[in-house]
Amino acid sequence: MPALKVSGLTFSYGPATLIKDLGFELRPGDFMCVLGPNGSGKSTLLKLLTGFIKPAAGAVTLAGESTAGMAAGRLARLAAYVPSETTTPYDFSVREMVLMGRTARSGFWRGYSRADEEAADRALAETGAARLAARSVNTLSTGERQLVFIAQALAQEAKLLLLDEPTSHLDLKYKAAVMALLASLAGRNLAVAAVLHEPALARLGCNKALLLGREGDYSFGSVPEMISPVRLAAVYGLPENSPLLPK
Amino acid sequence: MANSKLSLLFLALAAACLFSLAAGPAGLSPDIILNLRLPRTLAALAVGAGLGLAGALFQGVLKNPLSDPYILGTSSGATAAAVFCFLAGIERTSPVFFIAVFAGAFGATFLSYWLARAAGRLSDAALVLAGVAVSAFLSAVVMLTLSAARERSFSLLYFVLGGLYAVEPGVMLFSGAIILAAVIFSMARWRALDAMSLGAEKAYHLGANPERERLVFFGLACAATSAAVAMGGTIGFVGLMTPHIIRLVTGPSARVLVPAAALGGAALLTAADAAGRSLFPPSEVPAGVIMALAGAPFFMWLLWKNSRGRN
Repeated sequence: MPALKVSGLTFSYGPATLIKDLGFELRPGDFMCVLGPNGSGKSTLLKLLTGFIKPAAGAVTLAGESTAGMAAGRLARLAAYVPSETTTPYDFSVREMVLMGRTARSGFWRGYSRADEEAADRALAETGAARLAARSVNTLSTGERQLVFIAQALAQEAKLLLLDEPTSHLDLKYKAAVMALLASLAGRNLAVAAVLHEPALARLGCNKALLLGREGDYSFGSVPEMISPVRLAAVYGLPENSPLLPK
Repeated sequence: MANSKLSLLFLALAAACLFSLAAGPAGLSPDIILNLRLPRTLAALAVGAGLGLAGALFQGVLKNPLSDPYILGTSSGATAAAVFCFLAGIERTSPVFFIAVFAGAFGATFLSYWLARAAGRLSDAALVLAGVAVSAFLSAVVMLTLSAARERSFSLLYFVLGGLYAVEPGVMLFSGAIILAAVIFSMARWRALDAMSLGAEKAYHLGANPERERLVFFGLACAATSAAVAMGGTIGFVGLMTPHIIRLVTGPSARVLVPAAALGGAALLTAADAAGRSLFPPSEVPAGVIMALAGAPFFMWLLWKNSRGRN
């Protein structure tokens, strides 16, 4: 069963059609990057997938269940989403922040159960953020914060992980570390979809790519097929020999 | 660790109670302590708990450290509704009174919220501005009403200014029960409140429905504020200051913050009321004035801290 199935997805923002009749499928173990110029609807797509924004038409299915009318709690068990930036004015510790990933798995009154604590510990270990556990999230560097919010999403124990620009604002070392982490998560049968700004990063572990163009044009396929200078030049409106495009 | 922090809080609460029972120009006769200061201390505890709770709920659900029932216009809405009820001859102990006051609080809060959202992104400052506008208008309506209703306006003015005078036992019992219920319900939903303090979008993706949680926590905060206003009129800044002070001790998680803010608010207002009685005997400074004297500079400090955090 596909972890994510999208069909006929259409969304307009004002008069402009952002996403038109989009369809693709992700299986457990797939790591897809979403690429495209600014305003092509990359971030919007992620929010359509989680039902935070409602599409004009089309269907999104998570592990065989349609997201139409799905309660937020159920959704959070099926898909976890890491926004490009999460801020809070309050000094939550890293551990508290990761434990919040368990929100959908709890009832009234209860403190965190042993299962919650273990899920948080696993997520912290997997992202390499365990050493930060006692720190306040507001004292972390951008790269450390990104790891913590990925850990929070992992604590949700969803089968699909969606990330909006997880590598932007990061230095090269953290970019590589985050991509390696996401690839390893796909390696243990999660489906991962990440919006990226740099096509070259797709080579660091992605096996699928979705290119979003203007006015709802898109192409979806394997990385070797999609990450070619010809296709990328067309999508970004650059000359094919531009040094910005990966060879 | 958590226990020693909580015992610190109980110690502060006990100190505030002792101060309140001892403070005042009439000395320490058992009669005065039992019949005058004890009811008043209980009223201060209940009002403070309600406002402290409301502050913690608003600051969490709106992800906005500058919010509290006074700044958002919740208290003004409740006060306006209460004044109309007094003039219409509705008793303070009747359920109609509480329903009207709650409706006033809820209406004013949602108006501020809606205005801030309509102004674009729901920024901390937009919410404060909207609250100021709503409060100013409602206060003007109250003053206009008081000017028109001359004969009762003096006693009502004291209510509007905020202070704990002779709270009737019936009102105290009813309001106290509402505040206790609001504390208990809020404690049950602490995880949703924590999720909301990361913003509505993140809360949704963690599995909390932001529209529903907003409605629930606004409802609980407005119920607590209404009950507090019914007892003590408009007292500001308890809801603003308490959660900030408590977070320094317990950390930000609503699991401890919610009950601790209720206890802390109770201690803070009880101490403020006792201070008001001891400053210039035999005259009394209303608790609302003491709170504003302490709270307004605190608010300025928060604004300064907040603007520094942005840059």
